[in-house]
Amino acid sequence: MEGDQETEVYTLVARKPSFDLPTACPNCLPAYIYLKLAKLPFELAFNSTFPDSDELPYFENGTYVAYNNEDGGVIEKLKKDGIVNLDAQLQSLPEYLSLKALIASWLEEALTYEIWVGTEGISTSKIYYSDLPWVISKVLFYKQTYMAKNRLGITKETAEQRETQIYKRAGEAYEALSTRLGEQKFLFEDRPSSLDAFLLSHMLFIIQVLPETSVLRCKLLEHNNLVRYAEKLKAEFLEASSSSPSPPLHSFPSSFTRKGSKPKSKPKVEKTEEEKKFKKRARFFIAAQFLAVVIYLSVMGGGSSDEPEYEDEDD
Amino acid sequence: MANPAETPDPNPSTPKLESEEIEEINGDEEEEEEEYEEEEDDGKPQTREDAIASRIQAASLFRRMRAAPVPVRVHDVIVKGNEKTKDHVIEAEVDVLREATTLQELLKASKVANFNLQALDIFDSVKITIDSGPPELPGTTNVVIHVVESKSPITGQIGTFTKAEARSSSLEGSLKYKNIFGYGDIWDGSLAYGCDHSAEVGLGMYLPRFRGRPTPFTSRVYLSTQEWLKFSSYKERALGLSFGLIASKYHELVYTTAWRNLIDPSQMASTSIRRQLGHNLVSALKYTFKFDKRNSPLRPTRGYSFISTSQIGGLAPDSRTLRFLRQEVDLRYAVPLGFYRAALNFGVSGGITFPWGSGYKSRASYVPERFFLGGNISPVCSLGGPSALWGFKTRGLGPNEPRREVQDEENGGTYERDFVGGDVAVTAFADLSFDFPVKWFRDRGIHGHVFACAGNMAELSENKYRKFSGPKFLETFRSSVGAGIVVPTSLFRMELNYCHILKKQEHDRAKSGLFMTFSTS
Repeated sequence: MEGDQETEVYTLVARKPSFDLPTACPNCLPAYIYLKLAKLPFELAFNSTFPDSDELPYFENGTYVAYNNEDGGVIEKLKKDGIVNLDAQLQSLPEYLSLKALIASWLEEALTYEIWVGTEGISTSKIYYSDLPWVISKVLFYKQTYMAKNRLGITKETAEQRETQIYKRAGEAYEALSTRLGEQKFLFEDRPSSLDAFLLSHMLFIIQVLPETSVLRCKLLEHNNLVRYAEKLKAEFLEASSSSPSPPLHSFPSSFTRKGSKPKSKPKVEKTEEEKKFKKRARFFIAAQFLAVVIYLSVMGGGSSDEPEYEDEDD
Repeated sequence: MANPAETPDPNPSTPKLESEEIEEINGDEEEEEEEYEEEEDDGKPQTREDAIASRIQAASLFRRMRAAPVPVRVHDVIVKGNEKTKDHVIEAEVDVLREATTLQELLKASKVANFNLQALDIFDSVKITIDSGPPELPGTTNVVIHVVESKSPITGQIGTFTKAEARSSSLEGSLKYKNIFGYGDIWDGSLAYGCDHSAEVGLGMYLPRFRGRPTPFTSRVYLSTQEWLKFSSYKERALGLSFGLIASKYHELVYTTAWRNLIDPSQMASTSIRRQLGHNLVSALKYTFKFDKRNSPLRPTRGYSFISTSQIGGLAPDSRTLRFLRQEVDLRYAVPLGFYRAALNFGVSGGITFPWGSGYKSRASYVPERFFLGGNISPVCSLGGPSALWGFKTRGLGPNEPRREVQDEENGGTYERDFVGGDVAVTAFADLSFDFPVKWFRDRGIHGHVFACAGNMAELSENKYRKFSGPKFLETFRSSVGAGIVVPTSLFRMELNYCHILKKQEHDRAKSGLFMTFSTS
């Protein structure tokens, strides 16, 4: 589109909805819930052709984009760039860090295992491949399964041992979280945090997406208070209308500024200006040399002055 | 007096006419000397008297041929020398011989048959000899085809060519393995590298005859990457399989199925490009009608050409394949002016693409299938659709969007835009080429030209057709004029031009100055 118009519309680009969830992707759902908890009005757009991308979900506003594979994830980047930060006063608490470690490592591992190995990927076709042709779906499914196993360190020798370890840790994590939560509304008293977003996303996914035979699902359903917590938050934040611009729970700058947006260095190594110039000149020099040789050989050799005539072929 | 309707003398000592010599005899009636070669019969030495008698007979035959058609019937076509190649492969290329009813037609048909067999590219030499038929069947003749199969079935070659899709020239090296199974099959492996950092590796197969079809059958599996990061912030990778179903002089029909993946390693893409990143399956049929009566593809000085390419994608039971329609036309006309080999070339080309299927009006067209104008190829040589404009850089004009913002400490903000292509594009050019008065230049084909061109693009998909208006489209036309020198080399045609941009729009990558183009046929 020609013309720069920076709009104030926030958009979260995620994978497609399914299983009665606004987005069925376990990586995209936390960001969605986080924005809902922060009561930030935003639009939801979908990308259904890139199941193996780690850039999704991404948050955009005009030319500003926060990808999920930068700065620790979309939520961290939104906090860092001052868009929305629910953890401003919680980050220094030791419990925050330990819960974050628990959710980000043990629960995340358990969920990854259950999706790709435990349930043999039975839910993945609806989450990732609903808009892709069969051939591509199959190949990407095998690719993503292989990568998940690699990430979890699962091999033929370690499969059983890892499975036991993952389920055991998940069970212990649920126990700890259940104890920590009690009958509170949020993990940290009455204020939502990014950890609530991660935990709620984890639980909604397990309850609504994974089949009833899932071991992880059975373990989670043993903790009634966790289930109640999920249902309450879902009813309040996800099923309520998202169009009303109610004041945010945590104050953030009213005008959109990119506070603390440090210069982003591109993923590839920055070359100095001098190196770039030198390489460009070197390329031109070599090209000119080659050209000169070709022209000399062609022209001095008595280049073709007569153009080839077409022959009339008989059909 | 011998009956003109009679066949050549059934006497085995009748001189046999070889196709190469026949051309000289048939084509040049002004020559009084008639050359022909006598074939010796199974090693029996001819006596001097026999030789004189043969010459007299041949002379009498040629006089008869000049006077009136000499009726003849082809009794048999005999193929010799093919140890590996199947008989039916050779016979299919020489069917035209059986249809000849006169000796004159037979000579012409032999020329065509020779050409067809040479075109198979599996023989080192082809000789067609017309011999008299069996003595008991007067008025008949036998045609003997003697082929020498290629001794080294593997050949390699390196060349340059211009791919319209890549909008730039590329260098290709290939290895061919010929006639493995004796069906005239040619298998090739190729590696191509383009100036725009595109690369392709492919394996192909060519069959001159497939299940009785009249045209060759080709198939190719390829893996290619095209890097457009600098211009449009995406890189395209494709793994594809294509079948050439019809390939004749005017018509070409190709079916392609490919897995295409668009990625953005730089993570700097604009909104439209970001939305299109991901995997897609293309299943498309492409029909090309080409009618080229110009005297040269690199320096046309007379004639005209017309090419129309129609493409439909989404031909699969699965509705999730890419569905699009694409149409391109290109019309050229060259008028000779009669002095210094000057010629005026005109060209008009246009193209349109649009998605189809449910919700087609609001869906975005696929970026790699859109039109992009600009590049370092000459409009005179790029026949096939709107692609080149002098003075405008690769993908240097048309709809564009701002990239992702990056705050650079040094510059205080970077300006970068993605050119996202157009759904409709039109270009036109006029080029006056002329030889220089200096003989040295003329001998080497170096000539000059003066040109003018114009072009424009617009978006139609995603409901943008509602904002499209003809007057605005004409108002935003880009144009340039210039002059330059054209240097034809054995590998490519190089132009060194001075271009003056008459009209451009904001953000277009074009500026007046010296500009080089490289084109191959």
